[in-house]
Amino acid sequence: MRFDAMSDMQVDALRETGSIGAGHAATALSQLVGHAISIDVPTLEVLDVGEVPELFGGPETLVVGVHVRLLGDIGGSMLFLAERASALALVDLMHARPVGSARAFSADEEALVTHVASILMSAYLAAVGRLADVSLLPARPSSTLDMAGAIMQAVTSDAALRADVALLLKTRFYDADTSVDAYLFFLPDPAGLGVLLGRLGVA
Amino acid sequence: MSEASAILRDLAQEFDPSHLIVGVGEIACAREPEVLVTQALGSCVGVALWDPRLRIGGLAHVMLPSTSSSAAQGKRHRFADLAVPDLVERMLDMGAAPRRIVAKIAGGASMFRGESGIDTIGDRNVAAVRYQLERAGVPVMAAETGGSHARTIELSTSTGILLIRSYTFGIHEI
Repeated sequence: MRFDAMSDMQVDALRETGSIGAGHAATALSQLVGHAISIDVPTLEVLDVGEVPELFGGPETLVVGVHVRLLGDIGGSMLFLAERASALALVDLMHARPVGSARAFSADEEALVTHVASILMSAYLAAVGRLADVSLLPARPSSTLDMAGAIMQAVTSDAALRADVALLLKTRFYDADTSVDAYLFFLPDPAGLGVLLGRLGVA
Repeated sequence: MSEASAILRDLAQEFDPSHLIVGVGEIACAREPEVLVTQALGSCVGVALWDPRLRIGGLAHVMLPSTSSSAAQGKRHRFADLAVPDLVERMLDMGAAPRRIVAKIAGGASMFRGESGIDTIGDRNVAAVRYQLERAGVPVMAAETGGSHARTIELSTSTGILLIRSYTFGIHEI
């Protein structure tokens, strides 16, 4: 089973799951920071992993990446990617201060972005798990700030994952004043995707 | 993680359009004065070959150790066990002499720290590339592998110098 062989109905099922996960993550983040944060997943698309760096303007573009391996019934990975400027804006959004306040991406900023990405990914995995009745748990997140192409290759070269195709959930974090775009990639291994779509009843 | 913005300026430089870019899982050879470039090596390994007499260079962007390590379809030259022998073969086709070819390698990083599984693929790629080069009788003259940072490399076919660029350490040569 490959993503690029999925039907529109299957893509819709996963998009709907993404919206549910984003809603839960927004609630969790709002509790965490003490003010209202909203998250949309306006689009979901299936794309070749080789195309991913082009989303950021090329393989050398500096991006923040947060990666988790999937544990439980479905193997694979999830990856959160945001351009450096977007990651800094996300930090400002969480602190309810004007964009541009955070200037350096140092340990504190990295920890906060990793935490936010981890909540988002956990909420998405919980929503998928509930809908499909599978156990789907994230391993401990790890993060980096480096070239988009290198991050994507490292994730897709992972021993457990041989996917050439990724499911991209474009994600928008916002409040009344600020909007920040980020990219969430769901990369179940081929066997795991088959299990997932079978459980969703749309395989 | 170190703040990389100071190095952004250096990396923002435009590519010289005469440079030949070798994509992920691809190989290419060229003659003096061509420059061969491959971008954003993470756990991948860049293999640069050079014949100093004829000034012929070759570059591979290896993603995985061997064909047996993946069931997925894709580019043949993603794999060290196919890319390295094919790159040597292509150098010979262009007239390079087997005993003159030398290698420099870079890459094989662990992009995400502190996680089992994903952080060994870079090491395994480096080991596989070294093994394949040894089998082909090509000595490794210089290597800059490991660490946790991405690298872009440029091989000058005129000089055999391998230029390495990263956000973490800037620009240097091996």
